[in-house]
Amino acid sequence: MAKPVIHGDTIRVPSNPEFLSDVDVFLEGTLRGFGVDESAVADIAISVSELVNNAMVHGNKSSDEKMVTVRITRFKNTVTITVSDEGSGFDPTVVPDPLAEENLMHEVGRGLFIVRSLMDKVDVEATVTGTRVAITKAV
Amino acid sequence: MKLTDREISDIVVLEPKGKIMGGPDASLLHDKLYELLENEKKRIVIDLAGVEWMNSTGLGILISSYTTLRNNEGQLKLANVTDKIQSLLTITKLVTVFDAYDSVEDAVKSFG
Repeated sequence: MAKPVIHGDTIRVPSNPEFLSDVDVFLEGTLRGFGVDESAVADIAISVSELVNNAMVHGNKSSDEKMVTVRITRFKNTVTITVSDEGSGFDPTVVPDPLAEENLMHEVGRGLFIVRSLMDKVDVEATVTGTRVAITKAV
Repeated sequence: MKLTDREISDIVVLEPKGKIMGGPDASLLHDKLYELLENEKKRIVIDLAGVEWMNSTGLGILISSYTTLRNNEGQLKLANVTDKIQSLLTITKLVTVFDAYDSVEDAVKSFG
């Protein structure tokens, strides 16, 4: 199986949940290096874990052969993280309302809702060569 | 995530520590819960004091635990919910589902 690869501001991991913690260690270390406060580090880490989960499961269909790429950039007082998969493109915004009474006890389906709640900006770009989600937060 | 447990007056207190983000975390808690049910332990407190943060997978694990216990005539209570997790429970409206207490002692007492 492929292994995680770190290059500058980017980490690439195979689509296996055992690598979620590798992404988190890289992400939180980078954010603390930027001087981001702990509350914002947690919000961003939660959001990225949601997006990487989605990219692995829904984008890459849990194929170890396909990678998820996470890139972290800082511009002035904002941090932007892009999460890209190598799937055939899926629209993560098409999910039932997790706040509807009939969905409240569902075990899944809250990921992007939480990301939108914690981040200042969320952009989704789904193409036939994969889905790319960019999240931005003022720090 | 790491998981330890202890028992107070026939009530089991589960103590996850670290981050609950998915992967092996779900099976760790599920397996523990089923082990407890097999041993007729149906009154459970999850002490969240040591959980730095959780994502929607973590919330799903709490829901699954709640439902599994309820379906087996058991009960789940939460204790020491951190601000970060409380915020997630609030925005997802799950705050209306779970019984949460400020301390393990209060959660244990609530079983009566």
